[in-house]
Amino acid sequence: MIVTRQLCCKYAGGYQGPLYNMQIGKVHSAKKVVAQLLLLALPTAALVWYVLFSINQYYQVLQNQWLQQGAYYLGGMVLAMLFYAYRFRFITTALLLFAVYYVAYKLLGKTAVGEFDTFFVSVQLLIFSILSGAGWITGYGFSRSRYFTIAWSVFLLAFQVLMVSKTDQVTANSLILAFAPVLFYSFYIIYTAELLRNMNEDEPGFGWFVGRRITGFTVLAVALLASLLLVFQKQFETIEKDWAGGKGSNKKDGAESMTKQNRDGSVSNKDQMRVTGSLSKDKRLVFVANLDNYFPNSTTPNPLYFTSLYYTKFDTLTQTFETDANMPANDLFKPDPSKIPLYFTKTDTSVIRNTNATLNRKVVSADIYKVILSPNEFIAPSTAFFIQPIPVEKEYASQFKSAYRTKMWVSDLNSAYFIYNPAGNKGLEQFQEQRFQQLRTATSYEGISSPFMDYYTFMPNNPEYQRIKNLSLNITKDAKTPVDKMVAIRNYFLSKDEFGQPKFKYSDNPGIPGLPSASKLNYFLFENRKGYCAYYAGATLFMLRSLGIPSRIAAGFLTVDRSSKNPGWYWFYADQAHAWVQLYFKGYGWIDFDTTVPDVNTQQSPQPDGTPPMNPQKPWLVADGEAVTVDTVTQRVTMKVKKLLYHDKDFETIVSKDMFMDVSLATITKDTGGARLSDIKPGTPIVSVSYAESVQEIEPAPLDTLGSIIAKLAKPVPIDAVKIMETAAEKKAKQQQTQAEAKPINWANALWMLLAAIGGFLLLLFWLPWLVWQYYNTRAKKSTANINQKAYRVYTASMYYLNQLGMQRHQQSPEQFANQMDIRFTSNFERFTAVYQQIKYSNRALSNQQQQVVHNFFAPFKQQVRSNLSFKTRFVRFLNIYNTLHYFTKPKTG
Amino acid sequence: MEQDIHIDEALASIQKLVDNIETVIKGKRPQIQFILTALLAKGHILMEDNPGTGKTVMAKTLAQSISGRHNNAGVNFKRIQFTPDLLPMDLIGSHIFDDVQKEFVFKKGPLFCNVLLADEINRASPKVQSALLECMAENQITMGEITYPLEQLFFAIATQNPVEMEGTYPLPAAQLDRFFIKIIFGYVDEETELDIYNNYLGIADNLAHIQQVLSMEEILFLQNETEKVTIHPELVKAVRNLVWDTRRHSDITLGASTRSGITFLKCLKAFALVNGRTFVTENDLQIITAPVLDHRLIYRNRDAKASALASILNKEMDRLSKLKIG
Repeated sequence: MIVTRQLCCKYAGGYQGPLYNMQIGKVHSAKKVVAQLLLLALPTAALVWYVLFSINQYYQVLQNQWLQQGAYYLGGMVLAMLFYAYRFRFITTALLLFAVYYVAYKLLGKTAVGEFDTFFVSVQLLIFSILSGAGWITGYGFSRSRYFTIAWSVFLLAFQVLMVSKTDQVTANSLILAFAPVLFYSFYIIYTAELLRNMNEDEPGFGWFVGRRITGFTVLAVALLASLLLVFQKQFETIEKDWAGGKGSNKKDGAESMTKQNRDGSVSNKDQMRVTGSLSKDKRLVFVANLDNYFPNSTTPNPLYFTSLYYTKFDTLTQTFETDANMPANDLFKPDPSKIPLYFTKTDTSVIRNTNATLNRKVVSADIYKVILSPNEFIAPSTAFFIQPIPVEKEYASQFKSAYRTKMWVSDLNSAYFIYNPAGNKGLEQFQEQRFQQLRTATSYEGISSPFMDYYTFMPNNPEYQRIKNLSLNITKDAKTPVDKMVAIRNYFLSKDEFGQPKFKYSDNPGIPGLPSASKLNYFLFENRKGYCAYYAGATLFMLRSLGIPSRIAAGFLTVDRSSKNPGWYWFYADQAHAWVQLYFKGYGWIDFDTTVPDVNTQQSPQPDGTPPMNPQKPWLVADGEAVTVDTVTQRVTMKVKKLLYHDKDFETIVSKDMFMDVSLATITKDTGGARLSDIKPGTPIVSVSYAESVQEIEPAPLDTLGSIIAKLAKPVPIDAVKIMETAAEKKAKQQQTQAEAKPINWANALWMLLAAIGGFLLLLFWLPWLVWQYYNTRAKKSTANINQKAYRVYTASMYYLNQLGMQRHQQSPEQFANQMDIRFTSNFERFTAVYQQIKYSNRALSNQQQQVVHNFFAPFKQQVRSNLSFKTRFVRFLNIYNTLHYFTKPKTG
Repeated sequence: MEQDIHIDEALASIQKLVDNIETVIKGKRPQIQFILTALLAKGHILMEDNPGTGKTVMAKTLAQSISGRHNNAGVNFKRIQFTPDLLPMDLIGSHIFDDVQKEFVFKKGPLFCNVLLADEINRASPKVQSALLECMAENQITMGEITYPLEQLFFAIATQNPVEMEGTYPLPAAQLDRFFIKIIFGYVDEETELDIYNNYLGIADNLAHIQQVLSMEEILFLQNETEKVTIHPELVKAVRNLVWDTRRHSDITLGASTRSGITFLKCLKAFALVNGRTFVTENDLQIITAPVLDHRLIYRNRDAKASALASILNKEMDRLSKLKIG
């Protein structure tokens, strides 16, 4: 802004001198240049900032420096506008500009030290040149071409379509966010550019003219932005947090992690995992798990993998692995633990069927205690099918927010392979070798449905991936079975170069801001060879898929921190978010393999403190319902019971029963942590649990109903734990949000909607002249109030009609124009015009004859015009919006 | 309420005059209208074009139509051929010693007349041109200490060759400003030209026998009626806007004066009457703007001369045409 002002003042000052010098004359006056800068450049810059802000979320290479990038663009645009306002030649200046870029690029190559520095700086320069070059062209377009704004708007809209197609969730919100500003801007810029083109800068009140419009624009833009911000505030905040690692600042390093920060401060695995430049180190404890061991003698080797999501699709344009709700043989169990009442269960055995794995499988259960893991998040070793929320004991309630028990269908072949196992450990090698032997029996994928195979072996078909394919073919040329091929790939990542140094290194910050168009995986595999789990998993996935082995990426947590004092307990930290691959073996199902090389430099996590939460007692009574009365003094609560779990038996009722409870000893919790009795309000959904012996003693009879059991119980019922569930409103809000997030993307529909929207816009644009004509025409026909008004409306309609048909009155008096039309159409326009002029400028009463002229003019005139012009001519001319614009713009005095 | 104009009477007079002139001057209806406009607006007219386009014939025809061949009806017509050696006193007159009264008496020059044809006005030196200033603006002549009023009807028709031609002195701006209207005479169209060739004897005969059709009283009556023509406030505003726009326009170094604006209004009224209307319309504005304003403006360059005034007028016409009424 300041730069702009200074520049134009400088130019304006320079202009005062050579007033009559026509050789380096200006195209516009200084005033007009200022108006262009304020009314065209600034709003454009604002929009570009907005667009860049959105693009920055998709392209890592941009590093979220959208303010700076927008400034590059603005700079280019302002310079171009100033240049071309002073009649610089386009070709020469543009060539000069590109020469400057080129020289700068060459110089950089010579001066910058270090491979990464050079790469980084030249990428920055490239971004700068592209953006300022684009700004330059835009500025030139605004200055010189009348039709540029239309092309520009179409381009922006098309660009937004492209951007929206990049998002994994097409929701009404994202569509509004993407298109509302661009559409608003398009209308604005087309209108304003035309206005500026046609205005006379020597008119008095020019400043007012400009000021009025810019004020109007600002008010509208602020209103739009404010409402957008208001509606989407949370989204923006999440984006900012997401970027800034929760600290609200633009940090370059460690900004990206495998977990995402939720709004309530909890953590969950990212829905999208990008191959990015760096990974943050976060030592916070996320959750704790107690696992019924896979192996009888607790010899499970470290590490332990907990799965949250599967990434099955790779978007080659965004370089992003994506989850896919429609993946074939969906075996992902994804309940929301916070929505299930305590002790009630949810089971989905279809996932077991979907794994299609029968060999070496058994059911294993685990207890998971969440610390900062989001209450909605479900995490378990793969192929879970059962969940039961459990309470957290009172003394641990401050540390563990919530807990659940889960059951999984797991393979005892599936464990901790490859990495993190110190090489040379004979026991481990033997352990693994036994399992490989078993997996070697799965040699082919015959009999597996082809959609499944096609889906899980899909990879993009272009030279970059061909290179990966060649590499993997080369590595695995001696391997026969899928598992041997996998081992060969593992060995490749662990192999050493000719100097005895590991070929691949682990790095949380490989520092390669690669361009989105270039495959980062290629760069990783063939040049840099440093990366963290996502790189190894991604590369492995494509190597496997190129060999025709069905595979996918699993994301979740891994731990090496097994409690030595308390067998079966595992601690999971934020920096242990991990990604690895899963291979499908016929009969054995999905088996985890991890190819990430060991990180020699960093220790993964501190040792756990070793005090796991106690196992809860067996509950005799669990009641689900809502509070009716709450007495905080006597600590008594009455609740309406809808569902009851009594002595492990389920009771349900249609008519809920009231139960009077003593909560003086009860632990009151919420998903987000501890709560107080006063948090329970009448109507709050709660779950009450009792471990009391008095309850245990009253056995349920075979014919008991929910009502009869409550009647049997002592009054008040002693209650040991109360959990506050989400209220209906919270539930609804969350549901809406998750629905929006989980909604499967119907691309075809989304595209059709977009096309329809754009088509509708274009149609409206083309129909606008006709609509205006209909307005005038109807007004002229309907007007009967008085003859003056009638004449005025008929005249306006006729003039608009002729104008739209390409017959514009130019440097002619109304009578001269009318006369010309009469000659062409043999109409009565001149007489009508004369009468109209008399009405307009004289107060003499009209004679009867003149009144007849007014009344009888319009219809025959239209008829005459129609009969003289073919329908095609009229149709085509009516499509021309520029005729309409011409009609409504004031001529300039040059 | 509009003032009552004896429109039929006025129209008849004008029509008589036009018909009379058209017996001699063929295919020049617009020019005739402009000349009558200047006459009715109590102004003067300057006609410019190459030699041989009929300027002088036109002036003579008009003069004779209103003064008669023999000056017996009281309308006094004088014709002065301007030459480089013409002196102011040749126009104004001079003091001559009267032998009888033994004193200098003022001998009135040809300027003391009702209709003056100043032929080829730009052949005379600027000194002589200046001599016309006072009489054209104020209808009076000051000689020494005495001011002599001119007749109530004083109408100057000047002709000039284009300034670029050899042997011409461009008229000073002040002098140009005195002429209400300047018209470019132009050639007649092809058919009319053929018609003229076929009948040139007849036309010459017509000129020789042209009759006076209007008396001085009738002319003065018409001039009075002109004042009563209605002009809508929006059109007055349009005149103001046009004048102001010429001053603001970047390609016009000298814009129109306030006097030009007043002249403009008078011409609009006169033109409306000449066209048989008792009110001014956009049509009048469109047609008369260039003849009234163009010669008063100084343009920055040739391109500007071609387009500046047209664009100013176009803008104002656009405003007027979109005025809401009813």
